[in-house]
Amino acid sequence: MRVGLNWLKEFVDIHQTPAEVAEVLTMAGLEVEGLERKGQNLSDVTVSRILDIKPHPRADRLSICQLATGRQEVSVVCGALNISKGDLVPLALPGTRLPDGTPIKESRIRGEVSHGMLLAEDEMGLTDDHSGIMILPDDLTPGQSLSEAMDLEDWVLEVTLTPNRIDCASVLGIAREIAALTNKTTTMPEVHIEESTAPIEDLASVTVLDTHGCPRYTAGLVDQVKIGPSPFWMRYRLHMSGIRAINNVVDITNYVLMELGQPLHAFDYHRLAGRKIVVKRAENGQAFTTLDGQLRELDDQTLMICDGERAVALAGIMGGLNSEITPDSTTVLVESAYFDPIMIRRASKRLSLSTEASYRFERGIDIGGVDRALRRSLMLIAQLAGGSIAKGIIDCYPGPWSAPRIMLRVERANEVLGTNIGTREIIHHLSSLGMTVTELDQSHLEVRPPSFRVDITREADLIEEVARLIGYDNIPVTLPAIRSTEEDTPELALRDRIKALLVGMGFLEIVTYSFISPQSAEILGVQGHSHLRSFVRLRNPLSRDQSVMRTSLIPGLVSTARLNSLRGQNDMRIFEWGKIYLKGDGELPREKQVLTALISGMVSSQEWYRMPREVDFFDIKGIAEDILDVLGIEEPEFKRNGPKEGLDPDEYAGIFYSASEIGSIGKVSRNTMEGFGLQRDAYLLELDIEALSPFVKSVREFKPLAKFPSVTRDISIVVNRSIETATLLDIVKGMGKELIESVNIFDVYQGKQIGKEEKALAIRIDYRSRQRTLTDEEVNRIHEGIIEEIRRRIGGRLREGPRNGTP
Amino acid sequence: MKDELLELKTRALEELKSVTENPQLEEWRKRYLGRRGHLTLLLKRLPELSKGERPPIGKLANEAKEELSREFQSKLDSLSAREEDESFLDVTLPGRRTPRGHWHPITQTTEQICAIFSRLGFAVVEGPEVELDYYNFEALNMPKDHPARDMQDTFYISDNVVLRTHTSPMQIRVMEKQLPPVSIVAPGKVYRPDSDISHTPMFHQVEGLLVDKGVSFGDLKGTLTTFVHQMFDPDTKLRFRPGFFPFTEPSAEVDIQCVICKGEGCRTCSYTGWLEILGSGMVDPEVFKIVGYDPEDISGFAFGMGVERIAMLKSGVDDIRLFFENDIRFLRQF
Repeated sequence: MRVGLNWLKEFVDIHQTPAEVAEVLTMAGLEVEGLERKGQNLSDVTVSRILDIKPHPRADRLSICQLATGRQEVSVVCGALNISKGDLVPLALPGTRLPDGTPIKESRIRGEVSHGMLLAEDEMGLTDDHSGIMILPDDLTPGQSLSEAMDLEDWVLEVTLTPNRIDCASVLGIAREIAALTNKTTTMPEVHIEESTAPIEDLASVTVLDTHGCPRYTAGLVDQVKIGPSPFWMRYRLHMSGIRAINNVVDITNYVLMELGQPLHAFDYHRLAGRKIVVKRAENGQAFTTLDGQLRELDDQTLMICDGERAVALAGIMGGLNSEITPDSTTVLVESAYFDPIMIRRASKRLSLSTEASYRFERGIDIGGVDRALRRSLMLIAQLAGGSIAKGIIDCYPGPWSAPRIMLRVERANEVLGTNIGTREIIHHLSSLGMTVTELDQSHLEVRPPSFRVDITREADLIEEVARLIGYDNIPVTLPAIRSTEEDTPELALRDRIKALLVGMGFLEIVTYSFISPQSAEILGVQGHSHLRSFVRLRNPLSRDQSVMRTSLIPGLVSTARLNSLRGQNDMRIFEWGKIYLKGDGELPREKQVLTALISGMVSSQEWYRMPREVDFFDIKGIAEDILDVLGIEEPEFKRNGPKEGLDPDEYAGIFYSASEIGSIGKVSRNTMEGFGLQRDAYLLELDIEALSPFVKSVREFKPLAKFPSVTRDISIVVNRSIETATLLDIVKGMGKELIESVNIFDVYQGKQIGKEEKALAIRIDYRSRQRTLTDEEVNRIHEGIIEEIRRRIGGRLREGPRNGTP
Repeated sequence: MKDELLELKTRALEELKSVTENPQLEEWRKRYLGRRGHLTLLLKRLPELSKGERPPIGKLANEAKEELSREFQSKLDSLSAREEDESFLDVTLPGRRTPRGHWHPITQTTEQICAIFSRLGFAVVEGPEVELDYYNFEALNMPKDHPARDMQDTFYISDNVVLRTHTSPMQIRVMEKQLPPVSIVAPGKVYRPDSDISHTPMFHQVEGLLVDKGVSFGDLKGTLTTFVHQMFDPDTKLRFRPGFFPFTEPSAEVDIQCVICKGEGCRTCSYTGWLEILGSGMVDPEVFKIVGYDPEDISGFAFGMGVERIAMLKSGVDDIRLFFENDIRFLRQF
């Protein structure tokens, strides 16, 4: 809400600077977000009288004006048509700078010297009127500074209103707040009506058929008006409030709206069939053309203003084209009413039509001020558009409002605020806000709020008002004694642990949007029935690319890899920990925590001490193993159990522990790379946090340190390439049982020295007993048993050569 | 000749021991192994020997030459190694680094916020992001036709299901599950359909709630003042001013003195000298009634803050979208 400071000053004495006013309001909850100076830089613009107008000898559309500035006579070339001899006009002499910064210079226009420029209102930043040169009132004196003569210096306060303080959506409302906060009282605007003898009841009638939707409807009538432009002062104020001037009658309804917060509507009386107003619900499917020229379809929840035959306005939202004020209108019927907030809000939402009027009605206007606003507008119309006001007003108000009685316990207020405010002080503050306070006893007050404070209905509301008026900054600071009872959500500790580990391993954490494109399911190669495809869909997404909640973190990671790659950053280790959203049977989806990591590019850059190397499958596998190791998930199984979304069918593995699948690793599939525009190979790790968390060891059990020495044996076994290492290791462990402390593959060879279909695995085995020192013979026996078993079960043989069995 | 040879070898090795500098070593090499060196000259005399003497002496001589050459080489190595050790260690060569990872700045800021409240005795809890309209609005005293719903544009899944627009539903979820006292903070993602330099459709908030007997607005001020002083600077000035949230009353906005201009007025603070960083208030009695608490018996305060906003103020990031673009050059700065 934008309001001029001079306008406010008509309602309340203000001695503070504009900045101080802004501060007072802000600290009382009416945040002043902007403070704008108006009418500045106009002190050099001079009031001048046109002495003579002559046509320009060499230009048909221009004329040469002779002007008296009080001190001198100058001639100015001008193109406007609205000026005539004797008019007072604003003149900018050479050397003046306009508010927008334009400098005025002496110039020669088609051979004639122009000693300055005559100005239109918009050129001075006063209104947006550019219909001609501003013609000034005749009682000014040539030579006066324009800003002084017209009282143009002003400030616009831009106040951001919270939804509860609709009473402040007016000059009066803000003035009331300033008065309460600075110990002043407000002066109400002048309402002085000279009525004609014709009673309004003889001229028009109002019938309200829906008194729930319209508890109060008032109407007044002005005859013999002359539609024309409003005076400058009114247009200037409306302009400061951001309202476009239309004609005097419409401008007055807007002016009173801004001034008192009461939306008004002016009908062309002669266009109202039967000279009557009927307030009722629309019919389903009824069509109606609003003032903005839009044809709108209505339903029976919409409140309408009708005449004897048809609808003429959408109640509380916008008038109709069929009854609007035109330049030819002569009689005006003004409506000032109170409409039900919820009905107006619903209609406004349904029609997607929000106006200054609906904004106020849906939040609740001052039902007690409806008639005052009507009278104010009638008076202004009679003053500014001529005409005579019909005798009396129509006021349909079957159930007058009565103030709620709210009990305020002084003790309670002090308890909630942590203060020690006396009863007297509380009474003072509440009274200054227009409330009627009755002291029931020392500590109990009965408070009746004024009709404009629709937000005050409970004790809590009153306590807030007390706090606001004493000032939040004056409430003492204390610290509560916190009795902790809850525990942190348990997954949080696990999350921090895993994230810290990844960061320690050189990963960058990323955070991507939770919504993705539904197409990503296709790109990842999700099979028809998969849960990954049952998306939670947004009804009103910002774009199709962000229209479903993600069922996988892979799209986010791969897209991030692509973005970085496009910017020349190919080497990356990134991860995201976040939720996926799986549609289930319940109303809410299942939200599941997932960790997904991606590596791509060089695992190590080239340095003076090492050569670079590109990442591969075993890098991502090692990362998975490291994480699981830290979590105490020992010896997880990596195996291929059918294709995985987004992963290469030849280069992937599922991660299993105790028969549960807890994650997967693999290379990003060709399709996925193409679908997301990724150029470089990348490898993914996904961990299903829900699935693995039951296996996480939070307590580690101590094992006594070994007392006896270990014996190490290396062997190199040649087996068929299709034999998995895991099979070999199982045999080793199976044979050696508890005497085997560790087994490590330290070399893998494929090449000319052995058969084409073969590979050689070099294995180091550490033997150790917890009970005794092992003898060579004992170890040899087991060792040979192992070799024999390998030979028997998978056809492996010892590889000839230096590594053969010697420790 | 054999004795001569052995004597020569012994003398050469003996002399070599006392060699400490490269030039000395070079002289030694010339003296024994050079073209006119003692050993070379001796070898040239081999043909003078009888046929029977020649092979064993020859072998011996070759062995001596090999040995001296070997010793020369190892002396040379040790001398140059020492030289390297003493004067050629280039300490400015980069060290062997381990790649460094980074937490996302939003995570870092969230953790910092939560850690402060943890120390004050608040527990950290999380909840759903796809939320019932009931928790996101209705139970927070915002029935379907409440104008306050206009304050937050909302992503809808269905009539009754939304993406939560704030972390405040966690207040209801926690109070529904347990009796007072309650002291929690709830970090998490929230969503509003908005996208420009200062808005992203997804962002993060941290909610807080304290409910107990006798909790006052003064306690709210004290707790949030402590928070601001720990999160920013112990000297940071802050102010509380009235605000509006349907689920708190009285409600308070918390401003801190602009961290950029220190209150002088600049673009960041729109020349007010203040920055809004928190919304807060005393829990509205209606909300207590909805979760079955007796507002006559207990009271409480709640607060909420935007993580991105705080992260931006602290780090100087000027475009919120950078947080979700995840350019690794951006992430590496935190």
